[in-house]
Amino acid sequence: MKRLLPSLRGKKRYIAFELISEGPVGRSDLVKEIMSSASSLLGDVISSECDIKILGFEDWKGIIQCSNTRVKETRASLAAITRINGKRATLHIFGISGTVKRATEKFLQIHKVFEPKIETKFKMVEE
Amino acid sequence: MGKPKFYDFCVHAIPDGDNTVEQLATLAMHFGYSGIVIANHSDKLPQSPPLFISTNVFEIFRGIELIEENPSKLNSLIGKFRKSVDVLIVHGGSEAINKASLENPRVDILNHPYFDKSSGLNQVLAKAAAENGVAIGLTLRPFLHSRGSRRIRLLSALRANLDLARKYDVSLVLSSSAMSCFDLRSPMETLAMAEICGLEEEEALEAMCTVPEKIILRKHLISGHIREGIEVLEECDYF
Repeated sequence: MKRLLPSLRGKKRYIAFELISEGPVGRSDLVKEIMSSASSLLGDVISSECDIKILGFEDWKGIIQCSNTRVKETRASLAAITRINGKRATLHIFGISGTVKRATEKFLQIHKVFEPKIETKFKMVEE
Repeated sequence: MGKPKFYDFCVHAIPDGDNTVEQLATLAMHFGYSGIVIANHSDKLPQSPPLFISTNVFEIFRGIELIEENPSKLNSLIGKFRKSVDVLIVHGGSEAINKASLENPRVDILNHPYFDKSSGLNQVLAKAAAENGVAIGLTLRPFLHSRGSRRIRLLSALRANLDLARKYDVSLVLSSSAMSCFDLRSPMETLAMAEICGLEEEEALEAMCTVPEKIILRKHLISGHIREGIEVLEECDYF
């Protein structure tokens, strides 16, 4: 099928984020959790307008695509994530950009991931 | 106008929450907060008051969240703790406690006033809150951790309280009420969440920046602190 012309495609925003979690989290679990959190907070109709897609996720960092008119809603649904696959987690947004390239350059390469080891450190102290 | 300073006015550390003050403070700093208030519930206070190290970039304030069923006992608790803490929060959730705390000007914030089947506020209480300068605390944690019917009920209680607060000009404080590091959310995400829940952008900003600053200033005025570097040590009659 012929691809849509660039002028006909919807405008997007790219959200650069980091994940802070108790343990390692797989991409598919993250996708599932983001979708369920969005549909629970916003409802299915508005979540579909948000058009959330996870473009890449590795090493605790990643990029999420969403519609440019629904950035706030997407942000809130990402904030509403509390657990991924039973492990406590929170998603921290570095910033939002109009292109993948800029999002990668401006946020992912500069910002250091916060210790994902909070919990492990804490456990060691306890023992 | 510079960048707004965000504060998280209710964070629970060990032994109430799961993480230590340092862990919470580093994460909050990483998220871009200018300060947090460590407000443990009054039934779970640490044995010895911990030393908080505040820097120019990040401040840690001493707070407490009083949890009590009996209004007269609550008043004596307020008297006991008021001098030693920067921010005094009352754990709301019953009619008597809501009334007692909103009518006491020594209280700074009443957290989550709603209880089952009621939003916890009415026109009388809202008027009292505005007169006594008690802020209503909106906590984020219940909204994050509940889903379905429970969250719907919380949201409708929040809407009802917001309407009252707008009508009678009651100040609001938006905080995370975090029990662990994983309950903290960065300021921008908290704002987005608040806007989804029905607050206007300016209201949400005010609830995270201006109102907290005012509360801290008020405490400083009581203790004789005028501004950074200037403090009233001893008051006497010079003339």
